[in-house]
Amino acid sequence: MHQSIRHLKHRLSLATGLVIAASLLAACGGGESVDVDGSSDDGGGGGGGGTLQAAIGGEPDQLDPHLTTSYFSFQVLENVYDTLVEPDENLEMQPSLASEWETSEDQLTWTFTIREGVKFSDGSDLTSEDIAYTYNRIIDEELQPAYRLAGVKSIEAPDPTTLVINLDAPQPNLLSALGGYKGMAIVSKENVESGDVKNNPVGSGPFVLEDWSNGSSIQLARNDEYWGEAPALDGVEFTFVKDPTVALQNLQSGQVHWTDNLPPQQVDQLADSEDVVVESAPSQDYWYMAMNHEREPFDNPDVRRAIALALDREDIVKVAKFGNATVNQTAIPETSAWYHEYAPFEQDTDEAQQLLEDAGVDGLEMDLMVTSEYPETVSAAQVIASQLDEVGITVEIRELEFPAWLDEQGKGNFDSFMLGWLGNIDPDEFYYSQHHSKGSNNYQGYSNPEVDQMLDEARTETDEGARKELYGQIAEQIVDDVSYLYLYNPDVAQGWAPEVSGYEVRSDRAIRFRSTSLDE
Amino acid sequence: MGRFLVRRLAQSAVVLLGVTLVVFLLLQLVPGDPVRVALGTRFEQDTYDALRERAGLDRPLPVQYLSYVGNALTGDLGVSFRSGDPVTGIVLERLPATLTLAFFAVLFALLVSFPLGILSAVKNGSVLDHVARVFSQFGVSVPDFWMGILAIILFTGVLGWLPPSGYTPLGEDPVDWFKHLVLPSVTVGLVTAAILTRFIRSSVLEAMSEDYVRTAEGKGLSPRRVVTRHVLRNALIPVVTVAAVQLASLLGGVIVIEVLFAWPGLGQLTFDAVRARDYPVLQGAVLLVAALFLLTNLLVDLLYAKLDPRISVR
Repeated sequence: MHQSIRHLKHRLSLATGLVIAASLLAACGGGESVDVDGSSDDGGGGGGGGTLQAAIGGEPDQLDPHLTTSYFSFQVLENVYDTLVEPDENLEMQPSLASEWETSEDQLTWTFTIREGVKFSDGSDLTSEDIAYTYNRIIDEELQPAYRLAGVKSIEAPDPTTLVINLDAPQPNLLSALGGYKGMAIVSKENVESGDVKNNPVGSGPFVLEDWSNGSSIQLARNDEYWGEAPALDGVEFTFVKDPTVALQNLQSGQVHWTDNLPPQQVDQLADSEDVVVESAPSQDYWYMAMNHEREPFDNPDVRRAIALALDREDIVKVAKFGNATVNQTAIPETSAWYHEYAPFEQDTDEAQQLLEDAGVDGLEMDLMVTSEYPETVSAAQVIASQLDEVGITVEIRELEFPAWLDEQGKGNFDSFMLGWLGNIDPDEFYYSQHHSKGSNNYQGYSNPEVDQMLDEARTETDEGARKELYGQIAEQIVDDVSYLYLYNPDVAQGWAPEVSGYEVRSDRAIRFRSTSLDE
Repeated sequence: MGRFLVRRLAQSAVVLLGVTLVVFLLLQLVPGDPVRVALGTRFEQDTYDALRERAGLDRPLPVQYLSYVGNALTGDLGVSFRSGDPVTGIVLERLPATLTLAFFAVLFALLVSFPLGILSAVKNGSVLDHVARVFSQFGVSVPDFWMGILAIILFTGVLGWLPPSGYTPLGEDPVDWFKHLVLPSVTVGLVTAAILTRFIRSSVLEAMSEDYVRTAEGKGLSPRRVVTRHVLRNALIPVVTVAAVQLASLLGGVIVIEVLFAWPGLGQLTFDAVRARDYPVLQGAVLLVAALFLLTNLLVDLLYAKLDPRISVR
């Protein structure tokens, strides 16, 4: 008996061994190394063509530029659509579909000359009528970017190459309202009315959507009808890789050529690496903490100032961004033409404690609402909590899932929260809706009539110098009142394979592949 | 048998109806406003109201539920709140990837756990038994996403054998399909294998101490015959249940693993739908998973009758 059982066991373990060996053998596919899909098949050799494989951090929800708000959608759409004007690398507005423009003396009428010979990727002509249709669609259907056209009285297309926009009041930032965001992309009426725009958008940009395989990838091909210089790449394939470690493995193993989903803690180390190129640029984004001005004791500006004095932003940046950010006490980053240098708060725990004492605040307990959607808010909150602990304030960190976070923010159910604003260009975008007492994003409940007046004035101030000065004053007042407690402007880091050339990291996070090529 | 099937299917329909109601009610309790999530942080109140109306979210809850169920009966599960596409299509599109992953994970698990579990029982207390026990302890207690990351670092980063993530449909390129399948299915399969190994081991041990085994040995049957004819036949019936439950739960999509490996299955779809508060998609996905679960259970009951003549379906 003993012997036969051993025999059986031997046979079984042999079977196990075989199974494992077989699966390993099969797994390594005969020892072949993994090559990059697509680029080799497409015959893109020396010409810099081929298909660029790009890994982004998630899947677009849909591709109608006026309905989506997902950054993943805009990463794709940036390469499919054009806007009337578009930001260059310094975020100055340059001609795109409009080749030139002029404004009337009273600044209420803008006349744009539309480029001739522009075609949508389905071959139909793009004229001023399409542009008027686009803007009217956004306004009439009250779609998400409608706030950008709030000052528009009417839009006319008197002939195919002329577009006239009439305004209620002068709007010096009209160009950045029209071009600073891909959600203002010019769409084809036919494409919208057929309902195809969500999944099969037709634009006039350098690439055209070829295939969307749900859950895994979106493929773009070069748009042969493109009016600008033809892209070198045959196409771009976006894959959706949520985990940054996995995205990095994809880049390092040559599965993808490009990703912006890098593990933040590895960015510095990767910048020195030889097998991948990692570049960072300061972004237009800012991250801040806000206190609830409708709750005691945060209704007292001195209490808010005490908290501002208790913080050391450098420490926060080290922990939350691994140093890849620039501290700033205002919203607009140093790299912007609208930057206004102002930094009144230097960490001073004695003064902070004195302010709290004068305000009659002792043993303050507060919550700080952060979200796992943006892990940097969670790590920053830990530093903020320990810094506030030193001035006798106990912080309870409330980490919520983002939809729940938004709910609580909307209900005003918080002592304080931390979040960021992404991709603003014009100072009106940085300050108006957040700090005007009637602003739609003034969740903290800030109200300063002086600031309201200056914000209204700056909105329509057509003299650029005067406008800049006005925003400088606004920034100082907002900082002094601690409407927001500004923390830092993060860098945007992206990585690519050495054979990728002609790609630049942009401070507005737009992902443009039209001048990119693949060497070898 | 025919009557049994009809009765079971009717019961399943009632269960599915219950699932729709429970899911619908639960979703009302979850914090988070789909409209606000969809609009991001910057919008005007008019935009908010317009979208809420377009999505039908301004209607009273009973109206929303009844119209959902009414449409569902005709196979129309509504449209995604985020993309506007029909939910039925969205969830069915994700089914092949999930079925593939679940099937191969369970296959791997069975191939590993059967020999390992049986041998460790038969050779109780031996070195192999200890190895099997350590393996199953490891598989059950180590988080699968961590194992997944280690596997990616080893097989992609160090060895360069396998792609770290993604999915290729079988019809497009079978070799590529298999390469992408190995890491996620082995990662999921290891956990399942660990659970099954423990279960098989104890089940076989239990059967081996039964009187009929002693009788069989006493009759002078060869030990191999005792194990194959008497022990396994009895020990494996409960294993079928456990394996089927494992399979059914994998059919629900392995959220963490699908997200990690960028696998376009139901798990990842569910994850995205929850994050976006895309309730129609979430309801559709849950309904499909529930249906798969019921179907698996039904098949297991039928299989039981085949395996054990004492059980009959009526």
